[in-house]
Amino acid sequence: MNRRTIAKLIGLAIAALLLSLWIGQQAYTWMLPQAAAEAILVDNLFSFMTTIGSFIFFGVMGTLIYSMIFQRAPKYDSKDGPPIEGNLKLEIVWTAIPIMLVIWIAGFSYQTYDHMSLLGTMAPRAMGMATAAAAALEEPTAPAQSSIEVSARQWAWEFYYPEQAVRSTELHLPVNERAHLVLTSEDVLHGFFVPAFRVKQDVVPGRAIDFEFTPIREGRYRLRDSEYSGTYFAANQTNVVVESATAYEQWLATAAATPPTSAENVAHEEFRRATDNDTLGWTTVKPAPAPIVNYASSEEDPYE
Amino acid sequence: MSTANLDSTLEAQVAHGAEHEEEDHRMFGFIVFLLSESVIFFSFFVGYIVYKTNVTDWYPAGFEGLEVREPFINTVVLVSSSFVIYIAERYLHKENLWGFRIFWLLTMLMGSYFLFGQAVEWMGLPFGFTDGLFGGTFYLLTGFHGLHVLTGVLLQGIMLGRSFRPNNYAGGEYGVNATSIFWHFVDVIWIILFLLIYIWR
Amino acid sequence: MSNASLEVASPSFQPQPGAPDNWRRFFTFSTDHKVIGIQYIVVAFVFFLFGGLLAMVMRGELLTPPADLVDRTVYNGLFTMHGTLMLFMWTFPMLNGLANYLVPLMIGARDMAFPRLNAAAFWLVPVFGVILTVSFFVPGGPSQSGWWAYPPVSLQNPSGNLINGQSLWILAVALSGVSSIMGAVNIVTTILRMRAPGMGWFQMPAFCWTVLSAQLIQLIGLPALTAGAVMLLFDLTVGTSFFNPELGGDPVLYQHFFWFYSHPAVYVIILPIFGVFSEVFPVYARKPLFGYPVVAVSSLIITGLSAIVWVHHMFASGTPGWMRMLFMVTTMTISVPTGIKVFAWVATVWGGRLRLTTGMLFALGGLSMFLFAGITGIMLASVPFDIHVNNTYFVVGHFHYVIYGAVVMGFYAAIYHWFPKMTGRMYYEGLGKLHFVLTFIGANLNFLPMHPMGLHGMPRRVASYDPEFAFWNVLASLGGFLLGVSTLPFILNMLSSWSRGPEAGDNPWRAIGLEWLVSSPPPHENFDEIPVVVSGPYGYGSDEPLVANSPAKE
Repeated sequence: MNRRTIAKLIGLAIAALLLSLWIGQQAYTWMLPQAAAEAILVDNLFSFMTTIGSFIFFGVMGTLIYSMIFQRAPKYDSKDGPPIEGNLKLEIVWTAIPIMLVIWIAGFSYQTYDHMSLLGTMAPRAMGMATAAAAALEEPTAPAQSSIEVSARQWAWEFYYPEQAVRSTELHLPVNERAHLVLTSEDVLHGFFVPAFRVKQDVVPGRAIDFEFTPIREGRYRLRDSEYSGTYFAANQTNVVVESATAYEQWLATAAATPPTSAENVAHEEFRRATDNDTLGWTTVKPAPAPIVNYASSEEDPYE
Repeated sequence: MSTANLDSTLEAQVAHGAEHEEEDHRMFGFIVFLLSESVIFFSFFVGYIVYKTNVTDWYPAGFEGLEVREPFINTVVLVSSSFVIYIAERYLHKENLWGFRIFWLLTMLMGSYFLFGQAVEWMGLPFGFTDGLFGGTFYLLTGFHGLHVLTGVLLQGIMLGRSFRPNNYAGGEYGVNATSIFWHFVDVIWIILFLLIYIWR
Repeated sequence: MSNASLEVASPSFQPQPGAPDNWRRFFTFSTDHKVIGIQYIVVAFVFFLFGGLLAMVMRGELLTPPADLVDRTVYNGLFTMHGTLMLFMWTFPMLNGLANYLVPLMIGARDMAFPRLNAAAFWLVPVFGVILTVSFFVPGGPSQSGWWAYPPVSLQNPSGNLINGQSLWILAVALSGVSSIMGAVNIVTTILRMRAPGMGWFQMPAFCWTVLSAQLIQLIGLPALTAGAVMLLFDLTVGTSFFNPELGGDPVLYQHFFWFYSHPAVYVIILPIFGVFSEVFPVYARKPLFGYPVVAVSSLIITGLSAIVWVHHMFASGTPGWMRMLFMVTTMTISVPTGIKVFAWVATVWGGRLRLTTGMLFALGGLSMFLFAGITGIMLASVPFDIHVNNTYFVVGHFHYVIYGAVVMGFYAAIYHWFPKMTGRMYYEGLGKLHFVLTFIGANLNFLPMHPMGLHGMPRRVASYDPEFAFWNVLASLGGFLLGVSTLPFILNMLSSWSRGPEAGDNPWRAIGLEWLVSSPPPHENFDEIPVVVSGPYGYGSDEPLVANSPAKE
């Protein structure tokens, strides 16, 4: 290869790199607001992988497209191409570089996972593209209060705050404090998934799973069932409210003083309507009755 | 020799060689199949091990453990029958048809005794297929194995019947060899099974 | 062995046993691997259309947020059966069809090792196809637990009947496993023992390497699925407690049994398509397959690695941290032999003399979409990221880029490439290019929007969704409908070309390979004389002959 070709290739590589870096930054905009410390870590990881992925994509696609446009056989040409069967140096390079990239990505991922598991109360605040490097590797502190009991069923979410004996279908959490949950299922597999937090955990019947994360941004966010759980699976959704410590205590106190009533439950409503109008489909498992709670979420509430 | 004769002799040799090749293909294919089949057993073994090491109440209520003496006798009979079937094969190879048939029949009897012993054990057990994870895995493993023993005995029966056909072994002894390998396979599986279920506590 | 030569009449009027004029042949218990191959492909394609129809209804439902087109139970049956049909009735039979047709020809054999077993394995396919179809009509409807059939949902059986959609599903899947194992024993024996003289391992076409690697996976992995399915069936029908948490069982153990096979299964699906790419690119670039020995061996490396990555489907299932990290590393590692192939194909194409025929276009399009899917695949291997997008549409987008983008397009590439050989006719190139454009646009339009949907948290398998996902869903549905339409020029092309297309001749592409040395279609026993191979498989640009003799008369 002559020097001009090498210069052109380096130029193209730099252009691809810059474009990839830019796309890597764009990746943050493809995600929901970072409502938990975990979200910052995951988004950084995603941006990193998007950058690398873009670079590879442009490199390979660029080569292919160039070839498809400029290396076509002339119309009546029936000659063969050059009998090139391989190139040891090139093959070593394109084996070694992917191995190194895999090690790099795996390492970054391992670090991210590590940080997510050990994130204590010194969680970094959301600053758009803040790095997670600030997160101190502290041992997780023992929960200041007992865990919130999350009960998943076909098809509702119910949250029980044992110290205040409050039941709710909307999960309320104080901002900047480590949330401790215990996930249980009353029937089948479910999935506890809050996209804005970037956390997910399958809820396995027969097990009580400890789960924790740190919300860092006040607001209301969607919580969805992520592990297919039957007929009304898609309707098994509710909201998570992250609020200041004072607002949180106030909510708990008000809820504790409210007598329990039947909550809004999409699955149950739909099933009842279908039964009344005789528009049921194939035989289905009957939805559990709507949870009886001190505080009920509403599908009308806006969320981010 | 006329060229026509030479041609036909060559053709016969080629044909015979081709048949041997076909027979080799079938044995190869059968062994490949057995290797695949063994993975089902290994999967069940893994399930058994995972359950046994993770479940707190392993035995059904009131059950102390399996009786080992009779199953051990069954094991001895089954494993010995592998040697018996081997002897039968050697007789066939030496073209001693009656020697083959006697030891082949003996193998079938030993296999049938094993099945009989298995049935007797099953009927004497205080737990059933749906009695917890131990009940489920016990009957699943011994039942699936027993099915294979039964298949083996039936195959042996067919081979025994065929041995009375004139010129049955002109094209080779593939059927007998395959049935024999299947029998050894069933044996090895049983040994692992026996150790897992009856010996490992 | 007489030396008298037969006067061969003009090919178009001399009935050839392999010619398509005798269509009745395809409805018999033929033991000719070429007939069986076409039987597999056609039956599979019919079920592809059926599964695609279900997808059209699903995309219709997903045009709007509420579940207003069909009842939720119906939608859940649709997505379950869409996945089930596409995997067990489309991809596996179709790939067995391609392998059946091509492998004996490519290795210089007259047929498969066990022709009757071959036919038996094929005729099981309509049987379990009928079982799956019938399951729509039993009380309670078809299985609605997803193609994974995770317990406890798959054990709930609300109709209470013994014969229900779920038990029929399990039966069909078990039969499919039997058929596949029969096929695998056959193909592995054939490739290992029936190669023509002179065809050592590194004279064998890459397609045969990938088929061998895929069938080895079937042999080792399928029995594990069978074991899990048997235990699930007993739980469902007689009340054992293997996976039923109410009786002390472990539902997560089912996931291990299931994915121990079903992950390697995706390599069963993609490996032969890798083989197709390896065969197609050299022909239309007029260049040897770059790095052929390494490309060949990488197929077996993928087979080996595929057995140790399955837990990446279970990162959110409650698996311990060490397990997640271990399988993250093994999963990422599998990108290395895969990447070697991708780079090798690019290097094959680069510097060649390209002809963008329909087959080449589909291969290039398939490669591009596979590249994208591979990149999202590495992202999915990363545990923290996967925890966010697991069970969302991001995953659905990823695997459809592989299955539609690479596998279906690879299938089309294979058909356009070998259609002249199989039928003796040439297809209509214009219709083929139209087919390609509609498919490429449709696939990208359908599956690209699924990635942002997933990043924003839209779960998969949902009959209804929150309003913020509407925009992407409308785009995806449009793409889906376009894909449905795109099959029409293909079907038209195949039917009309087969019956009245121009004659193709033995080797219209001037390709190098044993199958191109015989007539189109090949005679009943493939070769009048078994070829003696004297050079490697991709001798473009050199004058070396492939064989020392002439395997076809005249």
